[in-house]
Amino acid sequence: MKKIFLCCSAGMSTSMLVKKMEQAAVDRGLEVKIDAVGMANFEQAIESYDVCLLGPQIKFKLADFQAHAAKLHKRVEAIDPMAYGMMKGEQVLDQALALLEETA
Amino acid sequence: MKLYDQLIQFVEQKLGPIAGKLGAQRHITALRDGFLVAMPFIIVGSFILIFANPPFAADTTNAFGRAWLDFVAAHRPTIVMPWTMSMGIMSLFITMGVAYSLAKSYQMDAIGAAALSAMSFLLVAAPEKGWALPLNHFAGTGIFTALLVAYFSVELTRILKKYNITIRMPEQVPPAIAASFALLVPVLAIFVTLYPLSLFVQSGFDMQIPDAVMTIFKPLVSASNSLPAIIGALLLCQLLWFAGIHGANIVVGILSPIFLANISANAAAYAAGETIPNLFTQPFWDFYIFIGGAGATLSLVILMSFSKTAHLRSVGRMSFLPGAFQINEPVMFGAPVVMNPTLFIPFVMAPVVNAIIAYVAVNTGIVDKAIAVTPWTAPALIGAAWGAGWAFKASILTAVLMVIDLMIYYPFFKAYEKQVMAQEQATATGATKTETAGNPAIA
Repeated sequence: MKKIFLCCSAGMSTSMLVKKMEQAAVDRGLEVKIDAVGMANFEQAIESYDVCLLGPQIKFKLADFQAHAAKLHKRVEAIDPMAYGMMKGEQVLDQALALLEETA
Repeated sequence: MKLYDQLIQFVEQKLGPIAGKLGAQRHITALRDGFLVAMPFIIVGSFILIFANPPFAADTTNAFGRAWLDFVAAHRPTIVMPWTMSMGIMSLFITMGVAYSLAKSYQMDAIGAAALSAMSFLLVAAPEKGWALPLNHFAGTGIFTALLVAYFSVELTRILKKYNITIRMPEQVPPAIAASFALLVPVLAIFVTLYPLSLFVQSGFDMQIPDAVMTIFKPLVSASNSLPAIIGALLLCQLLWFAGIHGANIVVGILSPIFLANISANAAAYAAGETIPNLFTQPFWDFYIFIGGAGATLSLVILMSFSKTAHLRSVGRMSFLPGAFQINEPVMFGAPVVMNPTLFIPFVMAPVVNAIIAYVAVNTGIVDKAIAVTPWTAPALIGAAWGAGWAFKASILTAVLMVIDLMIYYPFFKAYEKQVMAQEQATATGATKTETAGNPAIA
């Protein structure tokens, strides 16, 4: 099963989006594991997950995290601010799945 | 409008990148993450302190209050002990937490670094007397020392490793065994650097290192209680958030040693029945200035929840529950508030007005100063009272500030609502046109 994690300052607001994405995945009959992680735990999380999406408010960590993830041949991308604010589970799930495709 | 453009340009091109670099800088990250390690101990510990000091007058006739007071009077040392061993020694947790996080960022042995930092801290801050460690520098007065010692011990270990100053093992020795020798030189290096420094400060200035460090940081801590400093810090936070950068993550990260030094002095004064000294604390910041998150957006969220436009209404309702727990990303990015010129003025003004009113209310003694650290995610009305030792006057202040914020946001919200409505109508008519244009084809 593919594993996605969303990362923000404390993993709080992303956890709301995770709920929406899980719902979207269930609706499509997809089996994916999606979690929210605080930025302090990014390095542990990227070891065991396949892909990471970053909350737009901590985009300043993107370059740093991408470099770290590249060592493990994994991808990190920031979430579109509007999709984040509107909690668009469908759209963000699509983004994650597209990233997974590219990695695979 | 020109001023606004210049300001945005400044935030985007100057402030944003600097903040980004700061936020990603490893010592600052370690500072923030290390303080997080100490937080649960401090929050629960400060809760116990309130229990040990019932919010009733000494001559109360309330039966419950009487029983509580008598119980505390009879068992005070027993009740206060958990506070002493959590919030009372927070600098120990902080030094370990910061060293652990910093070592991890260098991919060094993190638990070893935490232990080394704990030893370094004890060495300079708690010279033992008769097999007991004096705890006077384990709380607020030791925070900056805890931080500096953590940086020092980790950097020292790193430099020693970098220049290969270590006990070398023959190649046949298994790596795990070789690693067990890795920390020997750093421990010794701490002995020969920090310990003589501590002895020198003690004999030369008749004080301990934490006293000396506190003297250096004192102006910073005193300045933190002044209104200009508070407004400066909050404006920085606001401008970053307006650019879509998590301002609190960076600003509060740097402020946390000051918050803790302040609240720890307040708690000690409270426990001793003295006047509470410090105004600027985490509950002040979270529950008076930033009600509902950066920009005091809870009031905006309430306005949006009753909006005539579908977009603002749905974002408002979706944002209310997180907002009640001080989380406002949905409204920031959903409304959006981020980079929205119509909402810029109230977004910046509401927290400034909150800060000024709360500053006056607390300084004149209408509302009590905070004595307890709370989770920043506590609902503002509850968190304010919690921080002030369950004094519900604090909740009333928060409620008053929310009403004022409603008034500040209202005209700008209405203006923005009009813009959104015009957009929605344009899209709707656009859609109808396509539909009517499409219909004949189907027919």
